[in-house]
Amino acid sequence: MSQIELHDVTKRFDSGAEALRSISVAFEEGSMTFLTGHSGAGKSTFLKLLLRLDVPTRGQILVNGVNIVQLPESRVPAYRQNMGAVFQDHHLLAQRTVYDNVAVPLRVMGMTERDVARRVRAALSRVGLLEKERLLPRYLSTGEQQRIGIARAVVNRPRVLLADEPTGNLDPELSRDIMRLFEQFQEVGTTVIIASHERELIAAMGKPIIELSHGAMAQSAGEVDAATR
Amino acid sequence: MPRRDKVTDPWGTLAPVGQRGLVASVGRWQRDHRRVARDSLIHVSQRIGTSLLVWLLIGIALALPGGLYLLQTNLALISNRWEGRPGISVYLRVDAEAGLGPSLRDEFTKDPQVDRITLITADAALVEFQKFSGVNEALVQLDRNPLPALLRMVFKDDTTPGELDLIADHLRARVGVDEVSIEKTWLERVQAMTGVVRRLGWVLALTFALGAVLVTATSVRLAIESQLEELRVMKLVGATDGYIRRPFLYFGLFYGLGGGVAGAMLISATIAFVEAPLSTLLGSYGQDLQPAGLNFGFFLGLLLLGGGLGVSGALLAAKQRLTDLQVI
Repeated sequence: MSQIELHDVTKRFDSGAEALRSISVAFEEGSMTFLTGHSGAGKSTFLKLLLRLDVPTRGQILVNGVNIVQLPESRVPAYRQNMGAVFQDHHLLAQRTVYDNVAVPLRVMGMTERDVARRVRAALSRVGLLEKERLLPRYLSTGEQQRIGIARAVVNRPRVLLADEPTGNLDPELSRDIMRLFEQFQEVGTTVIIASHERELIAAMGKPIIELSHGAMAQSAGEVDAATR
Repeated sequence: MPRRDKVTDPWGTLAPVGQRGLVASVGRWQRDHRRVARDSLIHVSQRIGTSLLVWLLIGIALALPGGLYLLQTNLALISNRWEGRPGISVYLRVDAEAGLGPSLRDEFTKDPQVDRITLITADAALVEFQKFSGVNEALVQLDRNPLPALLRMVFKDDTTPGELDLIADHLRARVGVDEVSIEKTWLERVQAMTGVVRRLGWVLALTFALGAVLVTATSVRLAIESQLEELRVMKLVGATDGYIRRPFLYFGLFYGLGGGVAGAMLISATIAFVEAPLSTLLGSYGQDLQPAGLNFGFFLGLLLLGGGLGVSGALLAAKQRLTDLQVI
């Protein structure tokens, strides 16, 4: 059994537009996979379904054998506490310091401030921004803000890390640095799924790729699970 | 190894009740409430202008029905303290013969329905008036005593209102009698007034309570709007609806408690303002001013009611704004 499995997943919006069409794919625990495709291919919708921000119109999404589509609303927060998410526009809290931004997931989980401090500093150290913990986000560069977003996504040691265009606003060198960070998280056992349209960067990483086109699986490359073939 | 609930828990993080998880959960709950209460108090005190306005509005909403409740309590007490026996007060004319009062007293003492009669001479009435009113110097200027003599008659319990009316009519017809007042009528008026005040109190209480809830709901809603981005991020990382709602319930609680304090201050200030003339009025009826109901329990009740209204307003705002909060 793979860690994450999508079986015949379709997402149709109220307008009738089909964002995803009959997607079946699996992700092994500790793997790193790229999700690529043109703008509007369904990459963001794919990640939102995994985050349980939305539910598919049809199909199953199994996480460790549990169909998260049928998860009661009361259980969704606990599910999300084990997921990390990074977005292109960071969603950092402008009036909170870097430290407080990264601490949000830990405080939501009810950790003591001592544990929060330890983990926040470990996460900031991992992304190379420990010395900036007292600053507000507006005093950081775009690349640094993206790294804060990554720190917040990994501070609670998620089982799965999802990233939606994490390098969208960054130059090539910074983009490579961000991807190396994701590789490091994969190396400690986190399952990483990254949606990106930067084909050269993706190709250079040498990881499995799933390509979406108009909501359907166009092709897959690399060692993606047999369910995709 | 925690038991994994295959139906609802993909990550195997649920711990059975009764094991360490319960203790940890209670600890988390306590820590979060302490943190949220502290942060909410800071938030309310940092926006002192808005907070003062909300406290004053809630205070007024509580003070009006609270004041009526006190009035009703004291009116009920006054009517309960009344001897409870039917009586008639007979005011003699100022120029009546000096012997009229004693004559009427002697005449009605023989009446089997009369329990007792007290004659207060004009001189005694003047001394009593000087004691309560404190207008000694003005009275010294007058040529003569302006106050009449007074006969207070208390009848036996089985005296009917009709019999009282007959006696009162007979007395009114007597030469030298200025005014006859049936005290049971006065008592019935006080009791009727108490009933009116009670109902008015309920109407005002409900109306102003609704107003207080809406005022708090509006203030809390503004606080929610100012923190929407933070709430979206919290929901993204797995905050429950209860966790997200909690700070705003504390806002409502602190607004409400502050309103309770404001209400208590308004009531106390009002009583202090009317104390002197109220003493005089009650004294003219032979009653002392001892405000009943104005005790620790009353003030605690105001605080609890204010807190309850504040939390209700916060719940209303949270339900309106947070129910379908879009995460991203």
